[in-house]
Amino acid sequence: MVNAFSCLVKRKVTEEHPVRSEEIERLGAEIKREIDARFGKSLAIRELDAGSDNAAEIEVNNLSNAIYDVERFGITFVASPRHADLLLVTGAVTHNMEIAVKKTYDAMPSPKFVVAVGDDACDGGIYKGTYAVIGGVDKVLPVDLKIPGNPPAPKDILAGLLALMRNEK
Amino acid sequence: MTPSSHEDTASRAIREILGDEAPGRAARGPGGEWYVPVEESGFDRAIRELAARKFVLISLFGTEGFAQESRFSLLYVFERKEGILVLVRAVADGRATSIATIFPSASWPERECRDGFGIEFAGAFDTRRLLLHEPYQKDFHPLKKEFANAPVATNDDVPAAEEYQFRAMTGEGVYQVAVGPVHAGIIEPGHFRFSVIGETVFNLEIRMFYTHRGIEKLAEGKLPGDCVKVAEAVSGDESVANAVAFCMAVERISGITVPDRAWFIRTILAELERCCSHLGDQAGMLTDVAFALGASQFSVLREEVFRKNAELTGSRFLRGMTCIGGVTRDIPKDRLADLAEFVGQLKKRFRVGLSIVLSTPSVIDRFSTTGVVKRELLRPLNITGPVARASGGRIDVRLDHPYGVYDRFVPSHTPLDDGDVLARFTVKAQEFLDSLDLIERLIAAIPEGAVLSTEPVRDGYALALVESARGQNLCWVKIKDGKIDRYKVRTASYCNWLAIEHAVPGNILADFPVINKSMNLSYAGTDM
Repeated sequence: MVNAFSCLVKRKVTEEHPVRSEEIERLGAEIKREIDARFGKSLAIRELDAGSDNAAEIEVNNLSNAIYDVERFGITFVASPRHADLLLVTGAVTHNMEIAVKKTYDAMPSPKFVVAVGDDACDGGIYKGTYAVIGGVDKVLPVDLKIPGNPPAPKDILAGLLALMRNEK
Repeated sequence: MTPSSHEDTASRAIREILGDEAPGRAARGPGGEWYVPVEESGFDRAIRELAARKFVLISLFGTEGFAQESRFSLLYVFERKEGILVLVRAVADGRATSIATIFPSASWPERECRDGFGIEFAGAFDTRRLLLHEPYQKDFHPLKKEFANAPVATNDDVPAAEEYQFRAMTGEGVYQVAVGPVHAGIIEPGHFRFSVIGETVFNLEIRMFYTHRGIEKLAEGKLPGDCVKVAEAVSGDESVANAVAFCMAVERISGITVPDRAWFIRTILAELERCCSHLGDQAGMLTDVAFALGASQFSVLREEVFRKNAELTGSRFLRGMTCIGGVTRDIPKDRLADLAEFVGQLKKRFRVGLSIVLSTPSVIDRFSTTGVVKRELLRPLNITGPVARASGGRIDVRLDHPYGVYDRFVPSHTPLDDGDVLARFTVKAQEFLDSLDLIERLIAAIPEGAVLSTEPVRDGYALALVESARGQNLCWVKIKDGKIDRYKVRTASYCNWLAIEHAVPGNILADFPVINKSMNLSYAGTDM
């Protein structure tokens, strides 16, 4: 029998994780405050690979593992661009992905934000000026923030999201 | 690494196929591979002879300015245990003959050569575009030297008649499900076209190359040392494997001897990379059957390995360590001792996670008999890595063509025969533990000494094969006037993607994600 009272007196069924990072906890708490204030308590992100080497995807995926577990802070990754507040784009935009990138952005309701994750997404990286890519994400979409790195670590991505929210008045 | 001097399977095959002319025509490359020029008249026979001798076509690619007599040459790379043979065929006025009906693993590479060099293959059963999707101009062939690697104009408006044609499946109650290129999860882009009756998939056609970034052209004209970064960008989670393959090819060309300690460090990093990859697969498979408790066991361990990678090398993806002649930095003794202790802990905790999974009947029920890859597909499609080893294939580059220190530190394998998701899960679990054992043994035996050779790079060409987490990765490098003239790279994913088209039919649509994850194929490593 579970009721409100039993939740208060019973011991937790979850265990504490051995790898706890104070830096992440502090970042997370600040992000949660910003999300509560500006995004009505939840920030819905649609991740989009525009032509990356998959390292950045792995790091974005890692944000959902039990160590970061960013859902605690009000960040959710959504399947449909129609549900998204923010588009998190990785990789330089390839010609083969151009249409899909534009369609994904167009499907998002306004207001919407775009964040470029990783060196290639920021300015085309090592693919700058070559035949297969158009360039960084800002060549195709209006970019609100760039998070450099090869690839940026999960905490860099979190710090970037915090910076975005602090800049949006 | 010196190739053994006894007659290997490749040189015996050459002697039997070419007869008395063989000694004068075949030349041995620095990686131990044999190059055999074939004329148009003897080509068909050579191909049939190789098929009869159970050789596997592991790569086929074009190159410009390789032979005196023609502008373009095609290199057909055939492999068997202990031997690699490269047929070299001149391309006259942009035409060649398709061998895809004899070696199905030639179909994609032939389409690739058509996109890259404009070579037409007579008798091909599939002539659709591969690398360059419809927006690219028809007469654009980026791998020809006459095209500079510069931005190109594309057609924004492709007429309906020119759009990519998927195989049409018709019949009562048949419907198509089109998925991608943008998928629901956080995953790379690709398009899957399922033909479904009720819940059961009876055909799957995949379309890839959305993330085609022109890696091979990007390498051209670069100094070999600057090209390591390009190799690391082929596929993020195979950074070490592709960088080692590239450096190995350059070292073979130049006759550079890599110090022993450097090979030990490279191998430790390569095995760490395998651990990261396999942990991600275990977590992903469990996520896709909605068993979050099991998945979190492995994703947490993986995060800890990523952090350990960063401690050791400054990069969570182990980037920037491998370089031509060895490694850029040494790893001090105390760091290695710390790693050995970490590996011991990892083993214990991994076994805890594994026992949770294996004692959960609902997981076993979803994994078992799902997405079977049949053994008879292995050779025609050149299926490789854990996918092959879960379907009875006894193949592993580390054992078949040992490089670095793998002749002394031999992986121990137990291939399985079932070929389903459960077999792939189990094989990867065993390989993970085996990699940890290897790392412990390497740390215990690591010699002192330098980690970098500064011998100069020379001109020439060579082939290199390595075993990445996903299987056999190949690269062929040609250096001319001190710069990269051709960098051909082919990852294990490129081969294994076609296995999924055969593994999915007969399963329900809802099992596709777990089948896909059990193979864990890199889109970036395929598209390049």
